[in-house]
Amino acid sequence: MSAPLVDIAGLVIGYDAAARQVRALDSASLQVREGETLAIVGESGSGKTTLGMAAGRLLPPEAQLLDGTITVAGVDVMQADDAALRRLRREKLGFVFQNPSTALDPTMRIGRQVALALGGQPGPEAVAALLARAELGDPERVLRAFPHELSGGMAQRVVIAMAIARAPQLLIADEPTASLDASIREKVMATLVRLRAESGASLVILSHDLRLIGRHADRVAVMYGGRIVELGAVAQVLQAPVHPYTRALLAAAAGNEVPGARLEPIQGTPPMLEGRCEACAYAPRCTFSVARCNSERPEAREVAGRLVVCHRAEEAIATGAMQPQEAR
Amino acid sequence: MEPDVIALEDITVTYRSGFLGGTAFDALRGVSLRVKAGETVGLVGESGSGKTTLGRVCLGLLPPTQGQMRFGGAPFGKLRQRRGQLSVVLQHPEWALNPRLRCGTSVQEPLVLTGMPSSERRERVAEILGQVGLDPSFAARLPGQLSGGQRQRIAIARALVTNPRFIVFDEAVSALDVSVQAQVLNLIRDLQKRHGFGALFISHDLAATRYVSHRIAVMLRGEIVEDGPSARFYGTPEHPYSRALLGAA
Amino acid sequence: MSGFSKAAGRLLRADALTLFGLITLVTLLFLGIFGPWLPLGDPSRIAAGPRLGAPSAQFLFGTDELGRDFMPRVVQGIRSTFLLSAIAVTITAVIGSLLGMAAGYLGRFADQAIARGADILFAFPALVAGLLVAAVMGPGQGSAITVISIATLPLFIRVVRSVTLGIAGRGFVTAAEVAGASTLRIMLVHLLPNVMGAVMVQLTYALSIGMIIESALSFLGLGVQPPDASLGSLLRQGSSYLTIAPWMVLSSGAVLSLAIMSVNLVGDAVRDALEPLKGRPLT
Repeated sequence: MSAPLVDIAGLVIGYDAAARQVRALDSASLQVREGETLAIVGESGSGKTTLGMAAGRLLPPEAQLLDGTITVAGVDVMQADDAALRRLRREKLGFVFQNPSTALDPTMRIGRQVALALGGQPGPEAVAALLARAELGDPERVLRAFPHELSGGMAQRVVIAMAIARAPQLLIADEPTASLDASIREKVMATLVRLRAESGASLVILSHDLRLIGRHADRVAVMYGGRIVELGAVAQVLQAPVHPYTRALLAAAAGNEVPGARLEPIQGTPPMLEGRCEACAYAPRCTFSVARCNSERPEAREVAGRLVVCHRAEEAIATGAMQPQEAR
Repeated sequence: MEPDVIALEDITVTYRSGFLGGTAFDALRGVSLRVKAGETVGLVGESGSGKTTLGRVCLGLLPPTQGQMRFGGAPFGKLRQRRGQLSVVLQHPEWALNPRLRCGTSVQEPLVLTGMPSSERRERVAEILGQVGLDPSFAARLPGQLSGGQRQRIAIARALVTNPRFIVFDEAVSALDVSVQAQVLNLIRDLQKRHGFGALFISHDLAATRYVSHRIAVMLRGEIVEDGPSARFYGTPEHPYSRALLGAA
Repeated sequence: MSGFSKAAGRLLRADALTLFGLITLVTLLFLGIFGPWLPLGDPSRIAAGPRLGAPSAQFLFGTDELGRDFMPRVVQGIRSTFLLSAIAVTITAVIGSLLGMAAGYLGRFADQAIARGADILFAFPALVAGLLVAAVMGPGQGSAITVISIATLPLFIRVVRSVTLGIAGRGFVTAAEVAGASTLRIMLVHLLPNVMGAVMVQLTYALSIGMIIESALSFLGLGVQPPDASLGSLLRQGSSYLTIAPWMVLSSGAVLSLAIMSVNLVGDAVRDALEPLKGRPLT
């Protein structure tokens, strides 16, 4: 097997806030294989956006690298000089952000922005062809439009077209459909997935929408407290979750309940780490925790065909507390 | 029989662009909708379908171009005559509260407008904060110090503080994380059992809507294309558009 | 941690240039406000020293053509330039904020009328307005205040209107409308506190523009009238003796430049301290 496209090893990133440092990533490790679609799920504050942006070193100035490495297509991202970093961003990476209206320059016509993303001196045909690949109807009209003249779905397709303009090896999509209408989310997502398949690139989706991930990703990484707590094939993780957090997350999502049943929210709030967590970060909210969970940091182990960061993974399976979620 | 909390009869809202005539566009076309006390009606549809416009009509913020609108059996009248009788919870927890006001001040504003004396107001604010699961000390905090879920609870407390007969929830949980969504959805269900208000729950998320609603109306291009008990939306709804929404959910 | 203390913290950690601006501004304000009670000498005492005397230990900025000590005259000039501009700009800020909020919140006809009115004022050159106003009202402090108001009013209207447009659609405003709050209550309780930051930033820029306008008008003899002095009228006075007594133009010109620069530096710092509040939360 070839080397992974992205190799994140023990990444620790903190944000300088007044008088203290908040730890966003607490030794996160993850590999992205070539040509796969990997979803990173987690609630706000779980560190998933930090992890995604770290792949292009697109972090705000308050962010501090404390430990670990992140290698993308052979480039050590955190140590690369400016020229190497620019080359990596330009040739190997494509980003799709949550809100297309802020990702596009409001003062520039779409055609010009897409041409810039393509590089060189592309003719209008090349630009229109790229927009057509992103399934934008009537590309000639879109070329001449300003961003505010497009609907959210169209604008996001333009952003996707710009992200794939230079055939990147890695596409990172941060909540790509969260700001869009429910009725077009699925179509935009299908476009993104189709373009990934055509180009053979890897796609990393950052999302908290479990149903969306269930339909489109090959593998899923569940993040909590700045770490990846469960990592495996989508079918395995979402239909037979092992980590208590993954299970609680699935139980809390509307959509799988029977009529009249009650959703079970996760009690408590996500942790705000100020240093390395020397226990299981989820233990305070976990209904399955024991004394050990509060005193010893769990490490990633392979359980039931996926990686799990939980002391009690085997017991959790054995007690049958794990109810397979109904596939929709 | 108790009259409906709100009853819309054949409501049409027409927007005109340009001077004198110009092009006209019907945001709502012949919409009829009733909400009974203690009932939640879900309103789903894509954006541009008119569901937010319908919400604004129900709140008295937008006068309909045509059609009848009754509140508790009487003509709707002006918003000032309805002080304390209806309220709203909106999307974007970060915009729900005035960032310069302490949460207690925000929550008691509807009471100030109905003229309740300040000694009673303080008691009522503490009581309602308890009901939405927050400590009374939250009254002294500024919204900037709160999480999204906490802010949405404050917004719900503000909506409930006058014991209104009708509340509109416009995308009230859409911006929240999955686990927080579940907390807020449960809170809405529990509070409705307790207070018996009628509610309109507007959302593009069918899964969340059917969880809190008794009945669901599906909007498409300014019209209600299906209106039925929410149990139907766990199975196979009649209208093809409803089925498409279900597929996306 | 609240946004406001963050902003204050950023202001304190400001760079050396801001610190320089702040110290200069505070010094000039101190001199301007307390000048008449400081032992600097009498600005209007004729023949206190030689005519057109060069700067010396006794007369730091030299003396003018009537033998008046020029230093207390510059201090008096700071006082009238600063005070006149500050009064004009403060009045304008209040009016402009109310108009801007009304335009942004009420929309429709009010917005059209106010926004177009601001555009017309904005397109009008301040000096032409100054000549017109002086012709109608006669030269003096009143017309200076009027001209400064005309020139800076659109700044406030535009900024407050655009900030209001952004706030008016937010949940807390809609919630207050549904609860039956009056338009006045919404403007005062919900809009005003949220546009104050933008108004403060605009206030500093307007103040520096006001000082330039006041100086220009006084330089042309349309503003502050003798025997009172403003920095502009001192420049005018000194320009007649530029070749034989350059210290008059140099001292009043340097103080005017310092004053305008320090106001701008502090304004930049205020803006930088307030704007990051729009940033997104961590992660």
